Amino acid sequence: MTGTLLQGSSLRRLRLVVAIAVVVALVTLPAYGGQYTLTTFIRTFYFGFLALSVGLLLGQGGMISLTQTAFFGISGYVVGLLGAERGFPFPLPELAGLALVAVVALLFALVVMRTHGIVFLMLTLALGQICWSFARQNTSLLHGWAGIPDIQPPSIFGVDLTQNANFYWMSLALFSLGLLFLWRLVQSPFGLALNGIRESPRRMSALGYPVFWLRVAVFVIAAIYAGVGGILAAWSSGIVTPTALQLSRMIWILLIVILGGSQYFWGPVVGAVIAVWLDVIVSQLTPRYNTVIGIVFVVVILLAPNGILGVWERITAKRRALRQVPAAPPDSNQ
Amino acid sequence: MKYKATRTTLAPLVVAAGIIAMPMGASAADEIKIGMLSAFTGTFASFGQLQKEGAVMALEEWNYKVAGKTIKVIYADDQLDNELAVTKAKQLVEQDKVDVVTGLVSGDEGLSVASYMKGKDIPIVPMYSASEDSTMRKWYPFVVRPTWTGAQPMDVFGYWLSKVKGLKKIYMIGEDYSYPYNQAGGFKRGFLRGGGVEVTTVWHPVPTSDYSSIISSIPLDKKYDAVLYNGAGSDAVAFVKQYVEFGMQSKIPLLGQSNTFEKPDLDSMPQQIVGAYSAHLTADDMNTPNWNKFRDAFQKRWQHSPSAASEFAYGSMELILRAIKARNGDVTDKAALAAAMHKVDLSDEPRGPVALDEYNAAIENVYIREVAVGSDGVMYNKGLFTAKNVNQFGPYDSKIYMKQPSDGPSSPPDLRADMPREMLEVAKDYEFVPFGK
Repeated sequence: MTGTLLQGSSLRRLRLVVAIAVVVALVTLPAYGGQYTLTTFIRTFYFGFLALSVGLLLGQGGMISLTQTAFFGISGYVVGLLGAERGFPFPLPELAGLALVAVVALLFALVVMRTHGIVFLMLTLALGQICWSFARQNTSLLHGWAGIPDIQPPSIFGVDLTQNANFYWMSLALFSLGLLFLWRLVQSPFGLALNGIRESPRRMSALGYPVFWLRVAVFVIAAIYAGVGGILAAWSSGIVTPTALQLSRMIWILLIVILGGSQYFWGPVVGAVIAVWLDVIVSQLTPRYNTVIGIVFVVVILLAPNGILGVWERITAKRRALRQVPAAPPDSNQ
Repeated sequence: MKYKATRTTLAPLVVAAGIIAMPMGASAADEIKIGMLSAFTGTFASFGQLQKEGAVMALEEWNYKVAGKTIKVIYADDQLDNELAVTKAKQLVEQDKVDVVTGLVSGDEGLSVASYMKGKDIPIVPMYSASEDSTMRKWYPFVVRPTWTGAQPMDVFGYWLSKVKGLKKIYMIGEDYSYPYNQAGGFKRGFLRGGGVEVTTVWHPVPTSDYSSIISSIPLDKKYDAVLYNGAGSDAVAFVKQYVEFGMQSKIPLLGQSNTFEKPDLDSMPQQIVGAYSAHLTADDMNTPNWNKFRDAFQKRWQHSPSAASEFAYGSMELILRAIKARNGDVTDKAALAAAMHKVDLSDEPRGPVALDEYNAAIENVYIREVAVGSDGVMYNKGLFTAKNVNQFGPYDSKIYMKQPSDGPSSPPDLRADMPREMLEVAKDYEFVPFGK
């Protein structure tokens, strides 16, 4: 153990250097990246928020919720309805959207959090489908299939977000804040209690934890993450349609989280980056891009059930073990 | 399963790899890029395929070369989803830096993309997207549409049914989105102007596969003269099949909107619908030198007959290439390119002569057709009458027309009594000449 201590700290230093390099590269991206690279990163950020939402419930709470795209859509629709159509100024539609997301999430949670496992999955599926059907079939308010077009990002403190670079910096900052908050959350007693509930709700209940209300709270927090993603998406694409809520998008996000590694903090982020870029790159190479991406997903999940971060961990663990081999006594190797 | 947070540096590495791997849009000086945005996968993939076939045929005739420049087409798949359409339009504009955007199947897709493209100063040539506001209330000079609006053939159709065929009441069942709204709007205006009394409209979500409740709620005691199905694609096939299976065809005759009986969907429909009327800008039995030349070449290249979608794509691509030629291959000044598109001569268009009005929308022939069976036993759309030189405002004055609200699920009104007077009286209405004359 004493021999690896130095190695550990140098590895940590290397990690720090890489992390700083990535941060610098991301912040200065508008200086050297193309317009479309910025746009793709913006997509990564808003789908990233949605992936964090799913990842928080799945990784921390052990819950597979199929309602998360509904929250992504609700905030987008409120921004479209109040901002683009009725002309309310900047923070109002967005705050109203997040407030509605929180209220709806609370109501949904009061119902679904009484259940576990497959019943939970089916209930969240049903609630998500209700929201999607409503968006698709309501033509008087939500314009059905056509959706709400002409949504413009606002100017915040004099910064014009219709400029791609400004929008990129804003969403990068927002995403970093989101990650930071989530990081603090999972390290807090609340996060640890959540992990306990994931492993054994009954035991946590016996220990005196209010299991039901803790699960309700994490559901509302996850919904707000999806809602923030929905606002960014509406601003960026300028339109909100029922597609934002549909089941195939929900499953795509779930796959992204599993692809990255659902039990890792960075899993949803890695998954979102890879999936969004894979889509952009492969769709330029072949019209059968959906097949290719589907095969990639299947292969990764078959060979690496813990996702890409699981594979990475296995590689680094093996390398560490290899390094230790010469130091180990020969007879301990049996 | 422990929560392993700091165990990895992979996430930032992947981000870095993403930046390095970003595709670089290489551009050559002697290359002109056309972005074609359409539904190449998904429920509406057949439309995208038909469009691509028409466009490719035009390009091959030019050998992908205009005025010494090579034409490169970048195909982007939007699955007919409005949000994805905007995302892909961004890709074409920001990354591929295309000189022209074309393609587009549905009305909403066209409106969303045009809304994003506004201010980008790149010409857009919608091939099949028919929402009239793209070349009307929301028009800007970079939009050039040598094809159609939803109302254009339907105004003629409605007027013909009430004025010539003497129908009074129609029951319309339609898909709930902007293109069928626009078709319904044109139909109501024409039908009520020609002496019709009522067009009752019922909308259903897209897509729908089971129409039993919709069909059984058609009121047989209210003396409707016909049922008009205002939908297309797989919805139309399902509706028409069930309409016939329910035995409705013998009780109330069926009419279609422009795309309902279009090929290849018509091939999947039962032969009981022979005699059903519709109106479009093509008919399957056209017999003009331009059409025959196009049809034979198309048949030879793709081994099946062309549909309206492929003809529109052919004509639109032809317009783009001719405009580039008129500019002598110089596409740096996009405003001048759009202006050149406006001036292109399309009098030899296969479906009949086309001219552009002040909003860059087509003035063209509309054909009234009926479903007939050919000597080979296959159904086709047989031309009956032609209304010549129809523009997007129909017989109306453009100012009066645009003063009305945009077509929606409940506008214009269903009843003649509720229709504004100025929309019921026009100086000069259509004249119908027998098809082929």
